[in-house]
Amino acid sequence: MNLLVDGLLKALAMLRSGDNEIITIATLTAKVSLTSIFFSTLLGLPLGMVLGLSKFKGRRLLLTFINLGMGLPPVVAGLWITLLLWRSGPLGQFSLLYTPTAIIMAQFIVSLPIIVGLTCSTFQQISDKLLLQIKALGATRTQTLFILLKETKIGIFAAIIAGLGRIIAEVGAAMMVGGNIQGDTRILTTSIVMEVSKGNFDIALALSFILMSAAFLITGSITFLQQRKRNA
Amino acid sequence: MNTLLKLNEVKLQIEKKIILNIPDLQIVQGEFLGVMGPNGAGKSTLLKLLAFLECHSSGVLSYLGKELSASTISLETRRKFSIALQQSLLLDGTVFQNIALGLKLRKVPKKEIKKKVDYWMETFKISHLAQKNALTLSGGEAQRVNLARAMAVGPDILFLDEPFSALDFPTKIKLMEDFKHIAAKSNTTTVFVSHDLAEIRYLTTTLAIMLDGQIKQSGLTSDVLEHPNLDTASFLNEWKKFY
Amino acid sequence: MVKNRFLSVVMALVLMAFFTSGQLFSQKASATSSSKQTSLILATTTSTQDTGLLDVLIPMFEKENNVKVKTIAVGTGQALALGQKGEADVLLVHAPQSEQPLVDSKDVINRKRVMYNDFILVGPSSNPAHLSGSDIKTAFKKMYTAKKTFVSRGDDSGTDKKEKSIWQSLNIKPSGASYISTGQGMGATLQIAAQKKAYVLTDRGTFLSQKKKLGGMKIIIEGGKDLMNIYHVMQVNPAKHKMINSKDAKKFVDFMVSKKTQTIIGNFGKKEYGQALFIKYTE
Repeated sequence: MNLLVDGLLKALAMLRSGDNEIITIATLTAKVSLTSIFFSTLLGLPLGMVLGLSKFKGRRLLLTFINLGMGLPPVVAGLWITLLLWRSGPLGQFSLLYTPTAIIMAQFIVSLPIIVGLTCSTFQQISDKLLLQIKALGATRTQTLFILLKETKIGIFAAIIAGLGRIIAEVGAAMMVGGNIQGDTRILTTSIVMEVSKGNFDIALALSFILMSAAFLITGSITFLQQRKRNA
Repeated sequence: MNTLLKLNEVKLQIEKKIILNIPDLQIVQGEFLGVMGPNGAGKSTLLKLLAFLECHSSGVLSYLGKELSASTISLETRRKFSIALQQSLLLDGTVFQNIALGLKLRKVPKKEIKKKVDYWMETFKISHLAQKNALTLSGGEAQRVNLARAMAVGPDILFLDEPFSALDFPTKIKLMEDFKHIAAKSNTTTVFVSHDLAEIRYLTTTLAIMLDGQIKQSGLTSDVLEHPNLDTASFLNEWKKFY
Repeated sequence: MVKNRFLSVVMALVLMAFFTSGQLFSQKASATSSSKQTSLILATTTSTQDTGLLDVLIPMFEKENNVKVKTIAVGTGQALALGQKGEADVLLVHAPQSEQPLVDSKDVINRKRVMYNDFILVGPSSNPAHLSGSDIKTAFKKMYTAKKTFVSRGDDSGTDKKEKSIWQSLNIKPSGASYISTGQGMGATLQIAAQKKAYVLTDRGTFLSQKKKLGGMKIIIEGGKDLMNIYHVMQVNPAKHKMINSKDAKKFVDFMVSKKTQTIIGNFGKKEYGQALFIKYTE
């Protein structure tokens, strides 16, 4: 219990003192996570929408792979990306290993299936009658998608929150492809792992509080958007 | 009189099974056509076909003399039709937004949308609900919004698929009464699908009796009901048993 | 209007993400273009990083040479593998026996001895196996036959390799309930040993830096020749691998064995722990 209190106090002290290191780590974490979720949403939403609305051969197989991908262990994603980005690997010439971009790639890969899968199941629940009604109202394909996007707001936001949750919780891949380099690729989760391995449980705990507060702020605001009251 | 929709030997076939077989049907301007028949007779399918929301397998379906199908129809022409179903299928948003949706999709200027939506809310006696979320409405209110939404775009033809069937009796009577006035005033060509004789008798000017994917008898509503042919008579008898 | 507000919120999120990602990339672009700063990948072990020595040395080196050093702290096995695969430019490791094959295969060149610290056997102050002296082999044997609990890192790190080699020289394959393998870093393993009141082999540096948090643990065996933990720095061979930054790697090797750096190494930790964590040890 003492450790918990110590950790909380330390977290507050670290933040109050404007500790440069902690600010750098926290900002980087936010930047990397938000960029990852942005890109996986950008690609995942349309993919999920198309998968949820259309019927084609091989759709079930594709869905199986996506559902499998939802449980993709981050270290596996990390390993693949590492092999890809190695100097001797196919993308080696871009020197991307041990950069924030590499972490973004890993987080993109682990969050994409979640966004695609959950968006897809949300869109599958849309009734044929509603689709007919929207079409009959004179909507073009694009207009239909926008209407449906708004209509499935709750499910879509749930997908984004779940994806973001995966990203925030992720550490194995970030460690592997980022390298936990101070001031460069050290994010909150990797520093927590590092501090624990050093035996600095108080700092680790402090970092965990900061991470959870940041996660609370971000998911909280998305949840707020999702649950915004229907004006009665 | 001006013929809007014309069907010639139109068939709809799904895997060898003939769902619809309409050798001849015309819908003329200003007509309030009722399509009556038992469940499963193909009324709703016919409606979708007429609104160019479903493709026919063979035959000629033409609008204003031009042969068309659901797959070849232009967006512009498709936007001349409007549909309201038994379920109101309103979207998350205010009543105003729901009624404005069709106009918004057509990129009508905002000012004009406001004018039109206000007019139709007034007409359907739902002005007081303007800012209420459409998903919180009662069944009767929701159906008023649904009908107002369909009429707000000023369709050439209005298609209605059992719009009153899900309502309780008093609500239905009130809405039907209001709707009869509104329809008469706007003089919109309407195709109205129903299995309810009372609704048909009260609202329609012309009537087509539909059984097993075919139109068995059609003409002025009063003519058909007073001089039913064998098929019509047997359907009406079945119906009367339960009334 | 709800819809408009919704769209504007979405737009705001999109813009925010664009902004952050844009910033992320522009930052990197400016870093590379404005100063022509090069980057050097240093593979080292977690225990080296955990002592904090690199936090002092790396910034100095970066400033002097306008290089960005990317320190990848991993297990010894992985650090050596990174060198062998040409994924790092320079290595700082402490497993001489495992380093030798890389020297032989010419995967690494310019290998220089830098410093040493020593391994120590740490245990509960009650010392249940009554171990003493400086000979680690005798101590291991006595502890094992007395079935007293020992905590091993079991992570193939330099320390772990050291421990395994001692068992091997005794022809003992440790197993059973009294032998706990954590698979974790030194700090965590020390914590576990303290909780279990067990013996543990550790480097002196990590123990000294953690001592305050390890109530009741003390040094049991120290000073034997078998317990020296020697650090070498070496360059990855640019002739064998592509994209190696050998220019800065060579500078780093020179830097590590320079007089100035050696003085810093010799003094590191004195202020905080009362004794130096490393002893300079160049060739």
